[in-house]
This record gives sequence, C-alpha cells and structure tokens, in this order.
Amino acid sequence: MITVKNLSKSFNGKKVLDDISVTFETGKTNLIIGMSGSGKTVLLKSIVGLHEIDSGEIWFEDTLFSELNFTDRKEIRTEIGMLFQGSALFDSKTVEQNVRFPLDMFTNKTPKEKNERVNFCLNRVNIVKANKLFPAELSGGMKKRVAIARAIALNPKYLFCDEPNSGLDPITAILIDALIKELTEEYSMTTIVNTHDMNSVMEIGEKIIFISNGVKCWEGNKDEILHSDCSTLNDFVFANSLAKKLKAAK
Amino acid sequence: MIHFLTQVGRYFMFLRKVFAKPEKHSIYYRQTMRELVYLGLYSAGIIAIIAFFMGAVITLQTAYNTQNPIYPKYLIGLGCRDSIILEFSSTVAALILAGKVGSNISSEIGTMRVTEQIDALEIMGVNSASYLILPKIIATLLFNPVLTLIGIIVGIFGGWLAGTVSGVITSENFIYGIQYAFTPYYIVYSLIKTLFFAFIITSISAFQGYYVDGGSLEVGRASTKAVVYSSILILLFNVILTQLLLS
Ligand SMILES: Nc1ncnc2c1ncn2[C@@H]1O[C@H](COP(=O)(O)OP(=O)(O)OP(=O)(O)O)[C@@H](O)[C@H]1O
Ligand SMILES: [Mg+2]
Repeated sequence: MITVKNLSKSFNGKKVLDDISVTFETGKTNLIIGMSGSGKTVLLKSIVGLHEIDSGEIWFEDTLFSELNFTDRKEIRTEIGMLFQGSALFDSKTVEQNVRFPLDMFTNKTPKEKNERVNFCLNRVNIVKANKLFPAELSGGMKKRVAIARAIALNPKYLFCDEPNSGLDPITAILIDALIKELTEEYSMTTIVNTHDMNSVMEIGEKIIFISNGVKCWEGNKDEILHSDCSTLNDFVFANSLAKKLKAAK
Repeated sequence: MIHFLTQVGRYFMFLRKVFAKPEKHSIYYRQTMRELVYLGLYSAGIIAIIAFFMGAVITLQTAYNTQNPIYPKYLIGLGCRDSIILEFSSTVAALILAGKVGSNISSEIGTMRVTEQIDALEIMGVNSASYLILPKIIATLLFNPVLTLIGIIVGIFGGWLAGTVSGVITSENFIYGIQYAFTPYYIVYSLIKTLFFAFIITSISAFQGYYVDGGSLEVGRASTKAVVYSSILILLFNVILTQLLLS
C-alpha cells in the first residue's frame, strides 16, 4: 500500500501538484488519469522520489519514504519496478542485458539462474527471439514490453507504469494493459498506472483518480466513472463523439 | 556571477556523488574496462596521426627558422623534442581530446538524461552518477598518460621522418639533438599535466551531460559547453601547472 498525504510540488514557482492525498491499494491496478499536462508524470515521479516534493508525505507501507535520504531509499527502490513514458531502455545494452541489469546489480545469483530469470521475464511479456537485439532495433510496443520485463525482473512489490500503452495500436495496447493487471494480481503488487486512454480505464481500472491541473478532482472505480457529477471528468470521459452519442442515447 | 558560483557548487556536489562508494565492484570493473577501450584505445589513432604531423611541421619550421649556419643543426631535433614533450603531447592533445572524448561523454550522458535512462537507474537504487561516470574518470586517468607517451614517440618520429626525407637535417644530427641535454623531468611534467587535463575533460563533460534539462537541442548545447569549458580550463591549468612545476 502506498499512501500520499497532502503532496504539493511546483517548478520555478509554478504549481504543478496541489495538495494531493490518495491511497493506492495492494494487489490492484490503480490508475491516475488526466489530460496531457495535468501532472500525472510529475505525480508518479514524486512518489518514487525522482522529484523532490515541496510538502506532504509519501508512505510505502509503514515507512515514511519522503523523509529518507538516498541510501535509505535504496532499500525500497530495489522493490520498485518502473516503466517510463519513453521506455528508457539502456541504449548500449541488448534486450537481454537490459533485463539482466538489475539482477547483476542487486543479486548474487549465478549466471545460469540469471539467464533463466531473464528468459522467464521476457517470455512473460511475449518477447521471443529478440534477446540479442538492441533497443534501437525494436518497435515501440516491443520496447514497452522489454521495459516491463526489466521492471519485474526483481519481483518488485511496487510497479509504476507511465503511459504503458500510449502510441500503440488498440490490440497491443489492450494486451499490455491485461499483462500489467495479470502481473499485479499474480504477484500481489501495488501497481500505479498513468494513462489518458479511456480504453485502459474501462479494461483495468480498479481504482482510479482523476487529476486536472494538478488537483485531484475525483476518485472511484471504472463503474462509477460513468456516473460522476464532476464536469471536468465528464468532459474527459466523454471526449470522443462515439462516447457522447452513447451517453445521449442513454 | 551568482549563476557561476552555483554552478561551481553543483559541480563539487556532483563530484561527491560520483566518488561515493561503488555498489558492486565487479560491475564497475567491467565498465572501466569498456571505457578504457572506448575512451582510451579508440583515441590512440587520432592522437598518433596528429602527433605525427605536428612533429613533422615543427621540425620543418624549426629548420627554416634556423637556417643561419651559426646554429648547430642538432638544435632542430632538440626543438622538435621539447615542443612535443612540453606542449603537444599534453596540452594540444588534451584540447583535441576535449573535442573528441568530451563531446562524446556529454552527449552520451545527456541523451541518457533526456530519455529517462538515468531516472531508470536511480529508480532501481543505483547511484547513477557514480555508475556512469566513475569508470570513465578512472579509464581516462589510466589511459591518457599512455596517449601522451604515444604522442611523444610518434611526434618525434614524425619530426625525424620529415627532417630526413626533406633533407633539412641528417638522421645522426636529429638523433643527437633529441638526446642532447635531455631532462627526463619534462616527461614527468607532461604526464602530471595530462592527469589534470584528463580529469577536467571527463568530469566537466559528464557534469554538463548529467544536468541536461530538456531535449535533443539541450543535449547539443551541453556538448558544446562541455568542449568550450573544458578547453578553457585546460588552458588555465596549463599556465598554473607550468608555473608550479617548472619554476
Ligand atoms: N522538469 C520540469 N520542469 C518544469 N516544469 C515541468 C517539469 N516537468 C513537468 N513540468 C510541468 O508540469 C506540468 C505537468 O507535466 P506532466 O509531465 O506531469 O504531465 P502529464 O500529465 O504527464 O502529461 P502527458 O499525458 O502529456 O504525459 C506541465 O505543465 C509541465 O510543463
Ligand atoms: Mg506524462
């Protein structure tokens, strides 16, 4: 469980996140949704400590993460897997080396055990026969899947995904969503996913928060989202004409 | 001015992060070996080529400037030797490396920053500054002195070849000249300078890359800055070190 209390963050005096409080539950895919520029990435990066926050608290279970220094954070960070908006695979390493990297860095497994783990993770995300390729030789969706494999290599307790399916075709997008949800349940992780894709919301949204201009406007699940009174949320949910027609027909 | 001082402060804080205790020695060792090849070995060619031609041109110029028969011919060899050892093999080579290695380091690190690869390292709990940069610093500190020695040897050879082929000096005279009044300490002086310059090039360029904020434009700007700042610092430290070491 991850708990955020009264988090605020600004860049050069411009407020990007304003007094956000939320609890992300274990074993569920928690979604952060909102328009482009609303502050989703900043919120995710603040939670994991890539941005120093101005005020507020971030708890990982019973540990007040936001007050720890770099060395103490390390312990929690080895339990975090993160998928970045741009995949962030290491360019100079092959697919296989990318996934093996956290194992090399933080475990004392034998090379054989590491290989097995690497292949297991890559199989899990349906990447086959690409072990020796470099990131530049992969398609966008493959990169995302390799990045997921790398994120789960150490069996993390916490999984963070920043727009896992942006820029992908609808079928691949749904596959990746389903994969994230499955992994979350299988390993009972606390997963947080940023997205502005309504398909994902309806597929995997067990707990959803909606942020607009850095303020949390709404919180609920995928069934409740269709019946909220929040007008900015409704504009977001029913942005496309198909959804608008369906709503009108109702 | 305030901007300048904050930059200096950040630079030293950055160095502290770079020199933090490594997570896993075996991985750092492997990285260092890799950087020895990429930053060191792959620079040997350009240093050798430039040293060769510098040695050649210094010899020819010295020859044309000392055509008066009151100068003994071996002075040409001596002039070539001292210019190569004192200035070319350390300072000029460092300026060339600032262009080649410096821009390479800052664009590599800068690209890793803007594509979130550095964030990915941090998230795993890796000290990214140390993991990425310490091996580069160690590799250049180890290998640049070798480049300096290569520069000296090839430079003097270039001088000998140009001198003898063009006929401005005989082989015996040249060889007598490069041995005449030889001060081994000059080589030490040159190697000490090289160590300082290697540290300047690698740390300044890495610093510029590490704090890139933005996109590919900023990465380009950072590598320009890396080359300009490290060149200026090399020239400045050249004066300071020469005063300290040779006076
Ligand atoms: N490093 C930074 N420095 C200054 N401002 C920033 C920085 N990062 C983000 N911002 C600002 O914070 C706001 C929120 O950005 P953020 O990246 O969180 O949006 P987002 O919700 O993730 O959008 P998208 O869906 O397009 O990824 C933007 O207005 C952006 O300009
Ligand atoms: Mg984003």
